[in-house]
Amino acid sequence: MSTGWSLWVMFLVVLNLGITFFLFLWGPRAKIPTQPDGTSGHVWAHGVLREGVRRLPMWWILFSGAMFVAAFIYLVLYPGFGNHKGALGWTSHGQLAGEQAANEAKLEPLMQRFALYTPEQLAGDPAARQLGQVLFEDNCAACHQRSGKGNQQLGAPDLTDQDWLYGGNGKDITTSIHDGRAGVMPPWASLGEQNVANLAQYVLSLSGSPHDAKMAAAAEPIFKTTCAACHGPDGKGNQAVGAPNLADHIWLHGGTLADITKTIHDGRQGHMPNWDKRLSDAQIHVLAAYVYHLSHPDAGATD
Amino acid sequence: MAYRHFEAIEKHAGLLGIGIAIMVSLGGLAEITPLFVEAHSLKAPANVHPYDPLRLAGKDVYVREGCYLCHSQMIRALRFETQRYGHYSTAEESVYDRPFQWGSKRTGPDLARVGGKYSDDWQRMHLLDPRSVVPQSNMPGYPWLAKAGIDGADIQARMRVLRKLGDPYSDADIAAAPEAVKGKTEMDALIAYLQGLGIKNEPTAAAPASDGGAP
Repeated sequence: MSTGWSLWVMFLVVLNLGITFFLFLWGPRAKIPTQPDGTSGHVWAHGVLREGVRRLPMWWILFSGAMFVAAFIYLVLYPGFGNHKGALGWTSHGQLAGEQAANEAKLEPLMQRFALYTPEQLAGDPAARQLGQVLFEDNCAACHQRSGKGNQQLGAPDLTDQDWLYGGNGKDITTSIHDGRAGVMPPWASLGEQNVANLAQYVLSLSGSPHDAKMAAAAEPIFKTTCAACHGPDGKGNQAVGAPNLADHIWLHGGTLADITKTIHDGRQGHMPNWDKRLSDAQIHVLAAYVYHLSHPDAGATD
Repeated sequence: MAYRHFEAIEKHAGLLGIGIAIMVSLGGLAEITPLFVEAHSLKAPANVHPYDPLRLAGKDVYVREGCYLCHSQMIRALRFETQRYGHYSTAEESVYDRPFQWGSKRTGPDLARVGGKYSDDWQRMHLLDPRSVVPQSNMPGYPWLAKAGIDGADIQARMRVLRKLGDPYSDADIAAAPEAVKGKTEMDALIAYLQGLGIKNEPTAAAPASDGGAP
């Protein structure tokens, strides 16, 4: 605040406290004219209700006096009197910094212990899992669901199975969380409707799902030349580029004929945000352990 | 002062009302006036820019749909808030928000730094049907936004008004606005706005330029 506004606030504080303090001193001493019957003469309801004149109770006077003392002490210790910072130097930001530091100090021994282990080992630690679960529900559950089972409509992978797009060891999971992932399946509408329909049947055949063998056979050369670049000649996918395994029964964007046709025709975009700006490395480490635990419930449960 | 003064105040409702009004307004005069007047001298930090046309359109959709009724954009300087939402909000971050969207109620989470937390696809699905991604959500869906287009000339008019109010839009910025929102829906605009929250205007990790006005 500028000096002018500071003086303005000081003036109002003094004025307010001054008026109330004056009334506090003067009120009990005011001479109130009393009638012979001991009332003030104010009557209501044809004399049924009359205003008596009594001294203020001592507890009230003492309590009010204490309020003035408290106000004075407060204005000395804390900010409030214009630009006066207060003898304690208190600020809300200072208090926040103190609480954050205290919280970090409390977590420090735990985090130091966690740092000694890999995410795979840490998955067996109940304390790490508890912390990881809180972080997971706050940050990851919106896409992957609280259960970690993912969301096929969104293309958020199931984290509880053994099928990994970018690798499922602790290091790969940490990288996925830290840097995020961007999966791109290009649209193949340019191949023509018939080829897309045939390819969908071929993709179904890879996992041994019910399919039209004739259509699938017709699409095989296209798959081997076009799709195999990412998904591999046998359709088992490639974790280096995050291409899903098509030869299993786990589907990222749905495994019905309609879903697969749409995927081939329009392409798909997968976007896992990077969390390095929002979460500390220690938090990501714990989170990776929790995610590993989702698919390996028995991991590290030796000690 | 004698008793008759006291009696005059007590027996004349008008005088009593004036006296009460003066005493009650002292607090507001001390707490509100200085911040109100000094707010106009607040300067935008180097990393805070006026909204680009698409985000501006999205901000207006946000206001029109009343998102502020359930979502605040005000992270308070309290540990349990900064831990969940990120750095506390500062006054400078809101200089181009007219009206500001601090809000006073959180039925849903604070959105001051939600930008980039979820993917565009997530935001789209969530706005169309929140329960398709968050089964326990009680947020309403906003499917009509995906069908509503944006009028480029209208956005230009808004930018010209904001320029009168002090936002540093150049003639080139305004001329380019229709191109920037061409073919976009209100859904696209709202997502662009949400994805920019707290990213394009986040204070540096170091101490903020000022304490944001409050001690």
